[in-house]
Amino acid sequence: MPPVPKSDAAASPPHRLRRRAWSPSRGNALLLLPPLLLLTAFFIVPLATVFIQSLSGDTLGLTQYREVVTNGATVSVLLYTFQVALQVTLGALILSYPVAFMVSRLRGNLLHLCLGMILIPFWTSTVIRTYAWIVILQRRGVLNEAFMDLGLIEKPLRLVSNGVGMQIAMMHIMLPFMILPLLSAMRGIDGNLLRAASVMGANPWRQFVSVYLPLSLPGISAGCVLVFITSLGFYITPALLGGQRTMVAVLIEQQASRLLNWPLASALATILLILTCALFILYERALRSTGGGRPAGETA
Amino acid sequence: MTTSAHWRVVGAGITAFSVLVLVYLVVPTLVIVPLSFSSATFLSFPPPGWSLQWYEAFAGSADYRIAIFNSIKIGVPAALLATIFGTLAALALVRGSMRGRRPLSALMLAPLILPQIVLAIGLFPIMVKLGIIGSYPAILLGHTVVCLPLVFITVSASLRSYAPTYEMAAMTLGANPWNTFRFVTFPMIRVGMVVGFIFAFTFSFDELILAIFLTSPATRTVPRLLWEQLNYQMTPVIAAATVVLLLITISLLIAAAIVNRYGRGKEKAAFE
Repeated sequence: MPPVPKSDAAASPPHRLRRRAWSPSRGNALLLLPPLLLLTAFFIVPLATVFIQSLSGDTLGLTQYREVVTNGATVSVLLYTFQVALQVTLGALILSYPVAFMVSRLRGNLLHLCLGMILIPFWTSTVIRTYAWIVILQRRGVLNEAFMDLGLIEKPLRLVSNGVGMQIAMMHIMLPFMILPLLSAMRGIDGNLLRAASVMGANPWRQFVSVYLPLSLPGISAGCVLVFITSLGFYITPALLGGQRTMVAVLIEQQASRLLNWPLASALATILLILTCALFILYERALRSTGGGRPAGETA
Repeated sequence: MTTSAHWRVVGAGITAFSVLVLVYLVVPTLVIVPLSFSSATFLSFPPPGWSLQWYEAFAGSADYRIAIFNSIKIGVPAALLATIFGTLAALALVRGSMRGRRPLSALMLAPLILPQIVLAIGLFPIMVKLGIIGSYPAILLGHTVVCLPLVFITVSASLRSYAPTYEMAAMTLGANPWNTFRFVTFPMIRVGMVVGFIFAFTFSFDELILAIFLTSPATRTVPRLLWEQLNYQMTPVIAAATVVLLLITISLLIAAAIVNRYGRGKEKAAFE
């Protein structure tokens, strides 16, 4: 992106040309009007509705939040959601880093093959992928049958309805969200820097720790934030594979559509919304302070 | 020598680990394919015999036929609306110089990042108030909002891929804003718009949470039907339906890749 003059008052000739040109700031503000109206009516207003609903209750405005905080069951769901999101994020990072590293060094057909293996699951419906995991993990599922045939176990392992299967499936669904940002960071790393480190006598481990890892950090943080935020609000897989302990999105759905307790559902949704926004803003700040995440020309 | 051999082993280890992870990524979807051809009425693996009965059941099911029709009836206009609104937003925010472009861009991306369950329970009372809950407009508008970021991303990327000097050149040669858009900007971002449209359609075709809250049995989409069936019973019909849907998704992705490759080549040729 070309540098854009910050102040409207600047009136150097090229800038004036820009303003008279097809993209005058006034004309562009008009272009923005339709999408802005759409988002206001069907995005901002709904979110505001959720917030306002969360304040409605029998007595004071904060009844629902008091209920959320004092009810042990709700607190445990929130804590469990955090724990699962954290575990899924760390698991996905550990699995993704070597894959992104390997794929970032491939060229030609092998690269396309690997990208296909990453992108096709990415674009496949989460319902379908969750179904596949049920087929694999259930009591008489693919995995248990195979293990029993091999004589590794005597009776089926309990892999669904207890959180284990849910986390395996969630991690599977989140992997592309982790691999893709890592891959884009790693493809931007200049191989000459590693060669330079090697010439200076650094062994591969040293090259990795003091050159490669720091340079891939923007990809790590982008992937982790993306996976963590998505896991926090995940509904489909926890609803189908989760056990007694549910995640917060499932609880919101239960409260709203089955128990018709909209105020409590709205309070939980508001908490989820604020957490997500806060994490995202923190992440944006971090990106800006490290100078990562910007198009190449802009930092120079 | 021994240390270099040591690092070769480490390298081989990384490759082996990566291949295993890629297998973990791909295998779950592949497991469904043989199950869909099973002769058994329950999910057992490997299947005891082969048959096409589940595909017949799928083809003969009115529920699936209506759901697929609904998904298309919602997905195509939603993707079209998202393409129009997303392109307008990208033009304004990438080329414009007004204040507050950073927060406005964040707003355009927000529907993709925020949990859909929150949007779903916010949209529900609004659609009830508007009197359109369960009807086409309700889910259409919901899907347009969540698809808009995908078009915004792809069209913004196309706009950033070339300098605004082309547009300025057209202007200094006397083209009015509309002609500049028609003959300079549009040909350059056309590919981004088509790819954004395909992504938006794919997203709408897969979306479940808004569909649970905003559709009725008459307007329910494929993911919602699959969801209801999964909560009821697990017959291999679901596997057959899944394979058909997978083929649709994969062919859409291949179409996007072809458009991307072919279009980029043409763009370059136009300016040589």
